Amino acid sequence: MDVSSIGAVSGVSGVSSTGTVSATGTSGTGATGFANALGGAVDNLQQLQSTSNTLAIQAVTGSLSDIHNATIASTRAQVTLELVAAVRNKGVDAFTEIMRMQA
Amino acid sequence: MTFDAIGIASTGLTLHRKWLDAISDNLANINTVKPTSGPAFQARYVVAQEGAGNSGAYVQGAAYGNAEGRLVYEPANPLADKDGYVKYPDIDLASQMGQLIMAQRGYQANAAVVDRAKETYQAALQIGRA
Repeated sequence: MDVSSIGAVSGVSGVSSTGTVSATGTSGTGATGFANALGGAVDNLQQLQSTSNTLAIQAVTGSLSDIHNATIASTRAQVTLELVAAVRNKGVDAFTEIMRMQA
Repeated sequence: MTFDAIGIASTGLTLHRKWLDAISDNLANINTVKPTSGPAFQARYVVAQEGAGNSGAYVQGAAYGNAEGRLVYEPANPLADKDGYVKYPDIDLASQMGQLIMAQRGYQANAAVVDRAKETYQAALQIGRA
């Protein structure tokens, strides 16, 4: 639920712009920064999905007080999954693009 | 909250659900007869309160209606006092039905906000994908 993990992703794009200055220095910090951001986002996503699962089980077993809590948790987990997948795909795209580079 | 519109709308959904519960309780008890010695059934009203900043709407508490009730002459009723009166709750059925519509429409509006916010975020994720 923290916006800071998303904010860290924008920091990575800032690093890539300065990556032309020194390749060795920025590649180390950029890699850990992106890894941390992605790891935090995945942890956040897992938490949302476990909440959604708990509420879904409550809905099935009849111990749910608010129907919309279950559906909203499911929606939130779905949108977050799409966001994390989009960020991850962008990262992999960037990696493959760099690996394709030749002199 | 990461997806704030969804979180705010969910507070509105909870508020309207509780309003719906209060109306349901009032309608269920609209014919609840009490002896004149005690209080009549008191209607429940949900008191809404805005959240700090723009964090949605919450239930502050419950307010209760008139305990005097309506005195009705029913000498055949086993609960009637020596003059033949019983107490009916002071609930206006037409007002409750109007509130029922408002609670339902409010709930639906908040549910529409959740759907629309989800579509909006998904549109944001499509940026640059083509």
